Amino acid sequence: MSESKGMNKLSNLLLVALATPTVLLGLTYALHPDIGDGTLIRFANSMLTSFTMISFLLLLTLFVYGDTRKRPVAPLLGMLMCGLTGAALTLFFLTQGDLLMEDNGSVRAQALSNVIRFSTTAIALCIAALIVLGMVFASLMHTPPRRLKFEEE
Amino acid sequence: MEESFQAFLLFWLAGLCAVFGLMLGFFSKHSGTRRFGMFLLSLGSISILATPWTLTFSPSSAFGHFLGSILGPSVLLGVGLYNIAFSGHVPVGRLTEGDKRAGFAMVLIAMLWFEGMHWWVLTPTYPDEINRYWLIFWPTLLLLTASSSFVAYSIVKIVGDDRNQEQRLLLVLFGFTSLLVLLGLLRDGPNVETAQFAEEFWLAGADVFGLMVGAALAILLFAFVLAIYEAQQPLPKQLDPPTTKQLQEAAKHIAKHVGEVKEDE
Repeated sequence: MSESKGMNKLSNLLLVALATPTVLLGLTYALHPDIGDGTLIRFANSMLTSFTMISFLLLLTLFVYGDTRKRPVAPLLGMLMCGLTGAALTLFFLTQGDLLMEDNGSVRAQALSNVIRFSTTAIALCIAALIVLGMVFASLMHTPPRRLKFEEE
Repeated sequence: MEESFQAFLLFWLAGLCAVFGLMLGFFSKHSGTRRFGMFLLSLGSISILATPWTLTFSPSSAFGHFLGSILGPSVLLGVGLYNIAFSGHVPVGRLTEGDKRAGFAMVLIAMLWFEGMHWWVLTPTYPDEINRYWLIFWPTLLLLTASSSFVAYSIVKIVGDDRNQEQRLLLVLFGFTSLLVLLGLLRDGPNVETAQFAEEFWLAGADVFGLMVGAALAILLFAFVLAIYEAQQPLPKQLDPPTTKQLQEAAKHIAKHVGEVKEDE
């Protein structure tokens, strides 16, 4: 019973996480219906780049994992394969004509532009997290400590 | 030095150094390695920040210029929030009232600075047009702040017990950032027009959703790779059951330490 309640709360949170940006983007589209060129291309480029970059970042965290598990090679190879697959897929799709190409002259320029764009989005994500978590944390620290109230016997 | 090699050395290798240094600095257990990581991070960051002077021929230098442009308000925001948080009910090392006021001033200046970059003459311009990374960053920041503040509001509402102040604060933040988005969509700034802002905001949405899907896939695969590895590990060696002699010895030790509590104790 409580497990299904927990799952409900989790699915509500997921819904909120998807609905908020969707509403804001819907508002944008309603006010400026002429936008939207290259949306799918941007989405695909962003997805492939983030998959590749995060796979490599997770690969680096495996070195820490390796410290506690006698430095295994198998997960390292596995994540390396994931990262390389992501990079290969990106390059493959970029070379297929205009499938994933934006305003860049060459495949290399597009791939490098994807990485810089990913970094810009990641920086925006970090600053947004700093603002939201910083404000919540500051507010929590200014709440007077609660005292336990014992009922008199 | 050849231009492409110079760009590789001063921008891409520096970026790699910064990311690698960050990972070492945060995840290493050894203080020496952590210090080395921080050194790599500083070196890489400085090299990227210097690209508007060292790589004037490369389009990548616009990213260095963008980083330099947002460094001031971001640092003010971080230090300001730190000052406000640690001047609250902190048991050890509590900051003074003056620090708290300085913190509020820093956050206010940081927000005005960011706003001035869209609505006033502070828009990052490099070399003689608006920095394209600023055009990507600002709508993305607004979208992510609005979304994450509303998600955080929902989390506090579900998990928190009597956390009305935090809920109100997060709703105000959500309302404020949504209002900024609406203003950007309806009113031209001195340097950025509504149509351009709307286009970039829409693409920021595509970017954020793409990033979320790509990251989720990478994390799922990471979990899958680790699960396969762990499942292949042999079971740890099973110990033999204790002998009668060992049990008697254990009983003797337990009896020595667990006994009746006397009244005078």
